[in-house]
This record gives sequence, C-alpha cells and structure tokens, in this order.
Amino acid sequence: MEISSAQKVCQNLICSAIQRCRISDDLCRLSVVIKCSSVSDPQIVRISISDTGVGSCLEEFQDLNYTRNCVSAEKWDGVLSVTTTSICVNEIYHYNLNLKQNVAARRLTSGTEVSLSTYESMDDLIAGITRFFQKMLILKIPNLDFEGSSVSSAFMSHGCESCDHSEASYSVHMKVAVELLVERADSPASRSENLLNDGILLPFPMSNIERLSSGLEDYVLKHGNSLDKECRACFSSREHLKVGSGVACCTENLRNTEHVVEAVIIISELPESSSPSCLGACGTATKVIYFYDFSPCSIPQSSLKALTSIKWKSYGLTLRASVADRDGSAILEWENLLPHAHIDIALHSQQKTQVDRNLVKKAVKLALDDLKERYTGILLSAHALKICNFAPDLAKTIAGLILSSNDLGFQGECFSLLGVHSQEIGEEKVVDCIREKIIATSNMKMKKSNACTNSLHLLKCDIYEQAMQVLSTGCISLLALQ
Amino acid sequence: MANLCKSSLFYSDQHLCYADILPPSEVRARIEVAVLNFLKILNSPVPAITDLPLINRRSNNSRVSRGLLADVSSIFLSHSFCTRSLMKANATKAFIRVWKVMEVCFQLLVKEKRVTQRELFYKLLCSSPEYFTSELQVNRTIQDVVALLRCSRYSLGIMASSRGAVAGRLLLQEPGQEILDCSACGSSGHAITGDLNLLEKLVIQTDARYITVVEKHAIFHRLAEDCIFNQIPSILITAKGYPDIATRFLLHRMSQAFPDLPILALVDWNPAGLAILCTFKFGSIGMGLEAYRYACNVKWLGLRGGDLKLIPEESLVPLKPRDLQIAKSLMSSEILQENYKEELEIMVQSGRRAEIEALYFHGYDFLGKYIARKIVQADYI
Repeated sequence: MEISSAQKVCQNLICSAIQRCRISDDLCRLSVVIKCSSVSDPQIVRISISDTGVGSCLEEFQDLNYTRNCVSAEKWDGVLSVTTTSICVNEIYHYNLNLKQNVAARRLTSGTEVSLSTYESMDDLIAGITRFFQKMLILKIPNLDFEGSSVSSAFMSHGCESCDHSEASYSVHMKVAVELLVERADSPASRSENLLNDGILLPFPMSNIERLSSGLEDYVLKHGNSLDKECRACFSSREHLKVGSGVACCTENLRNTEHVVEAVIIISELPESSSPSCLGACGTATKVIYFYDFSPCSIPQSSLKALTSIKWKSYGLTLRASVADRDGSAILEWENLLPHAHIDIALHSQQKTQVDRNLVKKAVKLALDDLKERYTGILLSAHALKICNFAPDLAKTIAGLILSSNDLGFQGECFSLLGVHSQEIGEEKVVDCIREKIIATSNMKMKKSNACTNSLHLLKCDIYEQAMQVLSTGCISLLALQ
Repeated sequence: MANLCKSSLFYSDQHLCYADILPPSEVRARIEVAVLNFLKILNSPVPAITDLPLINRRSNNSRVSRGLLADVSSIFLSHSFCTRSLMKANATKAFIRVWKVMEVCFQLLVKEKRVTQRELFYKLLCSSPEYFTSELQVNRTIQDVVALLRCSRYSLGIMASSRGAVAGRLLLQEPGQEILDCSACGSSGHAITGDLNLLEKLVIQTDARYITVVEKHAIFHRLAEDCIFNQIPSILITAKGYPDIATRFLLHRMSQAFPDLPILALVDWNPAGLAILCTFKFGSIGMGLEAYRYACNVKWLGLRGGDLKLIPEESLVPLKPRDLQIAKSLMSSEILQENYKEELEIMVQSGRRAEIEALYFHGYDFLGKYIARKIVQADYI
C-alpha cells in the first residue's frame, strides 16, 4: 500500500516529536489524535500530533519533506497548523504553514501541537500510524512508554533485578508517555480509544543494541507485528529464536562525531504444525527494518547496496533479489531457504552525515558472525556443511580407535581431553563429544597456516624423536670410519 | 671425491625416508600418539582438525641411491610431504579413509591378528561402503597409513598376498618343519607365502649357479616342467606379473645368502616387461618407503633387441598406448642405465612388442636352449 504524503508527514512529525521529548528532562506526553467529522462528505479527518517536549521552531517544520504525490494531493492541501512554545516557555507561536505567513500567539507550558486536515480514509490513517508506532516499538527507546499498559503491574511482573524497585525512582525512568486517540463522530458516544496497548519494561541499564534485539524479538514473535500478541502456537518460548547482533562504529576525526550502525538478525523456524495464516504472515522474504537516529525511515540506496554486496554464500545463504518496497523497507529474497525458516533484520544507523556503506556491511557481518558463534550448526557455508556431514563418520572412527585400545592410560588421556568422565563412558557419548567438537571447529574460520603447522606435529612424540636421533648419529659414525 | 660421497649409500641415508619394521606394540603406540595429538589440537584454544602429513609418493620426491659397495642401486623417497586434509572439498573422503584404515589396523594389532589386503578390502567394503569402493583404493589408503606412521605394511598387520612361486635347486626349511626340495615341487613350483615373518625365518640352501626371475607364470611353468634347473643348476622364481613384496623379499634374501649367484631376468620385450625388471632391481615409488630394502642386482637376460632376429615377423605386435606411457615414465627415470634406455628406444621406435612365447616358433624346447646359450655366453646386461 502506498504511503500517502499525509502519512509520511505524520510519521516525520511523530519522529520529531519524539526527539523533542527525549531531549526534554521532564516527563513528557505525546498524543496523536485522529478526529473524524461527519459533517462533510467525503469525511474530513483531522490529525493532531502534540507533545510536551521542548519547544520547536518554525525552521523544523519548513524542513519537512513534502513530496508531491498526485493521488493524495487532492486529499490533503498541504496545510499544517503548528502551535508551539519557543525555547523559553513564555511565548507561544502559532503557525499556519502553507509555507507562507506566521502569526504569533500565546500559551503557558512548553510543547508543540501540529495539526492537519485531510480527506484520507480514517481507517487507513489509523492503520498506518499504528504500524509506524509498532515499528518504533522495535527500537525500545528508553524512557518511551506506550500508554495503555498498567505501568506499575508491568514493572512488578517483569521482575528486573537491576532496577531500583522503589516507585519514586521508577517515575524518573519513565519520561515519555505516548498515546494514540481516535474519535469517531459517527459512533453513538464519542469516545477515545487508545490503540496502543503495549509497553514492556526493560531492565536498566541496557545498551541500544540490546534493546533493539529485544524489540526485534517481540516483532518476530508477533509475526512481524501482524498480531497484537506473541504467537503462542508457533513460539512456545523466546528461546526458539536465534538472535545475533553487531555494532560497527567509526569516529570521524574532522568533525569528532561517531558514526554507529547497529544490526540485529533473527533466524526463526516455524514448527511444522503452524497454521497457514501464521505461515502467510511470515512469508519467506526478509523485510529489513531500517531506523535512522531512533526513528523508522526508508532504507537509503547505499545501505541497500551494502546489503547486496555482502558475501552471503559464505554463510550458506543465496540472495536471489533485493528490492526496496513502497514502504521504504528493503526486501531480501533468498534461494533455497529451509522450509519454515525465516530471517529478520533490523538496522539502526546513528550518523549525522551520509550513511557509510561499509559500516552497514560491517555491522551485518558482525551480526552474522555473532549468530554463528552462539549457535552451532547454522549459517554454514556449503563447504562447512559438507564437512559437517562427514563429522559423524570421523567421530565414529576415532571413537572406535580409542575404545578398541587396551591401554588404559591412553584411554584415560583421551577421555580427559574430551571432557568425558569415566562413569559415563559409552560409545555414543564419546562419538557425540568428538562429533560436536569437529562441527564446532569447521564452523570457525580456519587459518591455513594453523592447519599446516599442526599437521607436522601429528606424530611428534619424544620416543620417536629419540629414535630418529640415534639413527642419524649412527650414520655419522660410519662416515667417520671411512 | 665430493660427487662420490654424494652418491654413496651413507649420504643418501640423510635424505632417506623409510618405513620401520616394528613390533605391534610400537605401531599401536604410534597410532595412539596420532589420536592424542588429533584430540589435543581439536581441544586447543584455536581448535582445528589437523591435516595428515604423508610422505609424498610421487616421482618428484623420489631419489636414487647408487650402491657403492654392493652395486645395488635403489629408488627411495625423501622427506617431502603431502597432506590429506578434511577441509579440502574433494579430499575429505580420502582423509577419512586413512583414519578408517588406521582404526581397523589398530584393532588387528590389539587382537594380534593378521589379514591380507583382500580380506581388509572386504571388511572395509562392508563396514563403510560409502568410503571404499575398490581394492585399488584400499591399497592406496594402506600406503597412506604406511606413509603417515612410517611403519611397514607388514607391521600394520597386513600380510602380502601369496602370489609368487619358486622352483629349482633350492632347499627351504621352516623352523621345526621338514626340508622342502623345490626341484621336486612339480611344474607349478612352491608357492611363496605372504607372511614376511615366516620368510625371514626360512632356512635356505642351494647348489645352484644362477637365479632366474621369470615374468610370466606360463613361462615359469614350462621351464619347471622341462626341469631346466637340472640342466643348468639354477633357481626359478616368479611373481606372476608385477612383483609383490613377498617375492621380492625372498629374492633379496637369496641374493644376500648367496651373493655369488647372478640374478637373471626373463621378461617380454615390451616396456611393461622392462618395468617389472626394474621393480625387482630398484624398488618402486608406490611402496617407496619399504621397497628400497629389497632391491637386487638383477640383470636383463632376455628378450632383448638382439633376440628379435630369432622371432618371426608375424609375432611382433604393435605397442599399446599404455606401453608408450610406461616407456615414457621409464625414460624419464634417473635411475635407468644407458643400455636399458637404448633398448627402450628401439622398442618405442619400432612400435612393436614381442612375447617370450614367440620363441616357441622354433619348437617347445627352444626356450631352454636359448636360455642356456645366453647364460653360457654371459649375454646379459
């Protein structure tokens, strides 16, 4: 579904509102109110985005990208009504932005309210903004709570050890409350529904990347935010997800800014018994969710190119195609992915200047390597997979060698190297142990030099060396006789 | 002086790589060392699946040792290694094959049993059909294990097949057994056992003046039937084709026990025949770690270029492509002496080959007369 320009502007406005709330030291509230008036036909929907963060100035709104979109141009006249306080709270400004005049007015607390009116369908708008907020949830921005959850009970049930349990300090952590209210004129009693009812508290302190991982896990458990809650049928626990993350950063000395790119990759496998609706919701392609500076945004071309240029084959994946969909997300299509397997990727770039394509590539690679390290047997290149196929036979052969020996000293040494206790010696145990070690080894990057030097040591043993010495001295003495 | 030293047997020893003949306990110990090191490296901070270093059994690793005192030259292998690696895509199975053979040999050694190569092949074929498909593959893998552990095939518990036969003026006695007279064994001769240990312990006596090595069994049979060894006091020995270790072992023993007896070879006039002669004479690269021990000073009696006038034109048949391949590798061999190379040249240039049987044109007893005449005239190179 195409994003209308009104939606896009709303998203941008929400982003800047959140930034203002984050910057502010006080407790803030962000409200998105969608009002529908049935007076006219077609219905006019008024969207109001208000926050109690620091004030804003006109320039911020003038910088808003407004792309001319033929379809929705008729639906929205491009007029924004902005009410905001300035940096010092005494003054209130009210703008009617049609890129034209400013008129000053008055108000009391700091904050900003931006409104626009459009003929767009209310349901579409609600759906779009809800999706946008849900995407935002993935980031799990600290101090951002989405109104609706019973806050104190959520806090108790999460049972975080690292938090301070007193209520007073809790309130300090919560800085921004977000709500989405919808007023429908045609319902008998005009009531506000709050459509966002999520908000899991996370233990503090938690790094950005950990929060992004947690958020993406929730996203995957809800089948890409298509469900309101985690799908219990498909995922009995979070442990079924394989999560890997990577952070790539570089400091640009000239401007003394640090560019950071975070990447989280989750591999999930749906059980055989998944319902068709669950499978349908997942799909086989990977949707890459991209965030820029704590807000969802469309993936820049350079980052998309970076994704395409990664050597997926060395991780056992074959990329068939990569496209940017209308939402601005990148869609990666794979060849020969395991049935019911699904890959989700989230990227978060925090950079002030142009996105560095190498950083994106590096972050994703780090995430892939992280996955390989944490979970044995996944993301194996075709070569490593082949070796893993031979691992059971090799393990069986070597175990056979060890167990056929009647030299207890030798057996004992082998068992201690394998970490197998004498009580639990059984052929299967020994075979399994060796096999796992072989698989773990083949998973890692092998340095060629390592293997070479190792091979010459295979037969290194004192007795052997002594024997060789004796022989060579024998020859020398014979020569001396000549 | 320097050159002389270089070619001496003693100098070559520094480069010589050989397979020890070891008792079972020692071989077991070597295998155990290999397993322990494998596990240690698998367990190390930077774990790896260690490669197997094998002595390279290629011509580029073969050297020539020119005997100074005993006039016996041999081919031996030097310290160049090739590796079998699990990590190389196409060599993974070869790697595992080596370990599998080591496992079976280890089990044999623990039980103190011996098997032949063929028995080993069938055992492996049944237990690991995905890895072993032919006897040749099994034999090659056994050589890999020999090259890895540097112990002789026999030490691993693998017996050579009993392929060769001996006949003539030779008395053999196994310890505690009756004396066997090889001249009374009939036309098929006495089969040479594959058990090298047994061959080592044989007591041998002779009153022969020559030892004749025969390439083909059919010729051996004819000569034994005609009791040629009674006309010219000699010992006949054959490997019935490409020489096996047991036959070479016995020949070597005889050459050591009876150093005055010239060893004469009767082979077909083709590159394959010459190759067989050379194997008896110098050893082989394929079993280079062991074969050099049994090199003997074998002389080429016939058929040679000069004998072709005795053979009708029709008996000469064209050389096969395989013959030309063998000729090529023999020509490039450093160890082949000049007169042999000349003979080879004639063979290749004429493009023909001839079998010993062609001599029967002159009658069935011609072969005996031919041999006798040649020996008396000392017409051998």
